[in-house]
Amino acid sequence: MSTPALELSGLKKSFGKAEIIRGINLSIGKSERHAIIGPNGAGKSTLFNLITARFMPTAGSVKLHGEDLRGLQPYQINRKGLSRSFQITNIFPAMTVFENVRCALLWSQGYKYSFWNLVNRSRQLTEGADAILDQINLLGRRDLPAGALSYAEQRALEIGITIAGGADVIMLDEPTAGMSHSETDYITDLIMKVTEGKTLIMVEHDMGVVFGLADRISVLVYGEIIATGKPEDVRGDPRVQEAYLGAALEAEH
Amino acid sequence: MSDQLTTDPSKPAQRMRAGSMSLTLMPWIIAAIALILMPYIFTSNSALTIMNQMWITVIFALAYNMLLGQGGMLSFGHAVYAGVGGFACMHIMNMSDLFASFPLPVLPIFGGLFGIGLAMIVGAFSTRNAGTVFAMISLGVGELIAACSVIIVAFFGGEEGISGDRTYAMPFFGNEFLQQIDVYYLTSFWVILAAALMYLLSRTPVGRMANAVRDNPERAEFLGYSARWVRFYSFVASGFFAGIAGGLFAINYEILTEENLNTASSGVILLVTFLGGVGFFFGPIIGAIVFTLVQTVLSLQTELWAFYAGSLFVATVMFFPGGLAGLLMMHVPVFKLGNAKQLIQPYIKTLLPAAIGILGVCALVEMTFHFRHASIGDDEMTLFWTTFDSHTLLPWLIAGAVALIGIGIAKRNASELKEAWDAANTAGDAS
Repeated sequence: MSTPALELSGLKKSFGKAEIIRGINLSIGKSERHAIIGPNGAGKSTLFNLITARFMPTAGSVKLHGEDLRGLQPYQINRKGLSRSFQITNIFPAMTVFENVRCALLWSQGYKYSFWNLVNRSRQLTEGADAILDQINLLGRRDLPAGALSYAEQRALEIGITIAGGADVIMLDEPTAGMSHSETDYITDLIMKVTEGKTLIMVEHDMGVVFGLADRISVLVYGEIIATGKPEDVRGDPRVQEAYLGAALEAEH
Repeated sequence: MSDQLTTDPSKPAQRMRAGSMSLTLMPWIIAAIALILMPYIFTSNSALTIMNQMWITVIFALAYNMLLGQGGMLSFGHAVYAGVGGFACMHIMNMSDLFASFPLPVLPIFGGLFGIGLAMIVGAFSTRNAGTVFAMISLGVGELIAACSVIIVAFFGGEEGISGDRTYAMPFFGNEFLQQIDVYYLTSFWVILAAALMYLLSRTPVGRMANAVRDNPERAEFLGYSARWVRFYSFVASGFFAGIAGGLFAINYEILTEENLNTASSGVILLVTFLGGVGFFFGPIIGAIVFTLVQTVLSLQTELWAFYAGSLFVATVMFFPGGLAGLLMMHVPVFKLGNAKQLIQPYIKTLLPAAIGILGVCALVEMTFHFRHASIGDDEMTLFWTTFDSHTLLPWLIAGAVALIGIGIAKRNASELKEAWDAANTAGDAS
């Protein structure tokens, strides 16, 4: 078996005495679409923050393509090909939509901290950013300040920024939170399209999105994964139904 | 959502890019021509001195805005980078062998290099955070270095500072920079060069990321950029251009003292930059020009110039946080809609009485100052080309009435102006 794209082993996180993540082992293969679900307060976002070094784990390790990420800063992890979005929209609101995406391209195109290249002169940057905008259907909004976009458009932009750098492991934190049905469908299609051939890990509440997108699902309850497997297996798991899914599914219908 | 995508986006975008190339070059050419022609319009030596001071302040304010406006870092001690650059240039001026080996226009580069050196040392620990931590460190370091001026006398020259003579440099095409006009063109050359370089820098990857880090450091980190390194590079670049401004100061005044380092100078540059507007590249340029005029021309008219400058600053912060540049740029949409004419009349109806009212207030302030501070028996004062006795009631009544009526009319017409403004901004939307 090849090295998994992302491997968590014995991952723990405590804030003071409160143990939020209580030992997580999870292996996510290359090109897999993996969804993490669970009730509010289960620690889904905390888990995301642990993987991307926003928080330091109390114990355990995170491996990206077999490489331990311990002690790395978020920007270093990003350079290794892991990119994430945020639960609360996290873009550059004062910049134009185009510039948001262009900033996301700079590092991956090798510009680093260059002060001798002019960004306007680079055809590669402009075309690359326009291609991403085309992919996320925001070309028509290209020169507007990002803060002026609608909520769904901002979420789409955030996904665009997240994938722009060409990372092969994409983490999306509740990409459809707070959206209407039609917006949710739009974002789901978008995610499907832009993560083609990439590893996707997403936290999501909307079961329609989860069962539509995910190859495998992990159910996180009180800091522990109580089940991992194919959507239909997880759906049938009695423990999952008891802890979470049943109630959620009932609420859906 | 698809209806927004019906326009072909690539074509207007390309047209815009192609247009912006020639558009961005024009202001620079105009500025260069204006700089060359200025001495023919304002011929006196004092005007040249004022303009030299202006251009030096322009460079310094632009360098400062690299931190404040573009990098989101509020510094309370930025005068030290200009000051140290200036002191370094002064020492080079006094090393006669070295100084005689290169022409004077090269000297500011050394100021810039010393600015970089100091900024690298300080930036290594101060750029870890933006916000309050950065501001406090900048204040502390600024005070520390200003205090050093009386401790490290060999470098800072103690209380009297150090002075030199710029004419000992290698003649530059036969020019020894004896005349003020020679220094003017040297300063003008540097202001164009430095401003152009700073503008270009804001268009490079590290310049764009400075904006990104300012807006959202966390997001920038998740795009592969260390917020700290981005801030560090902005800080060092700002130190370089501040050092250049310091070097030009040394050439211009041939003396540097503790005043070039202290918190008051750091405060002035913050004030200049904010007054001009931090949100636009050209903001600090306007701020530097306006402030230098207030400082030099107004200070000849009244001892209270600092009071007026301070009031102007407070008014800017309270009513126009975008500064003078923001105020100007607010009108761009109106011009684009072709509605500018609608505003002329309401503007006159509001601003003219307001100006008269403010002059009335100024008269009251000046009279109070004269009443309290003139020597006993000196009751006569001259204000607005009128001489009168400040100890009689009539002038007070007139000034008070002018102030009240002027501001009263302005206030009454302000609502009309607001309506006209809204109309001018929206009317075109429908068409």
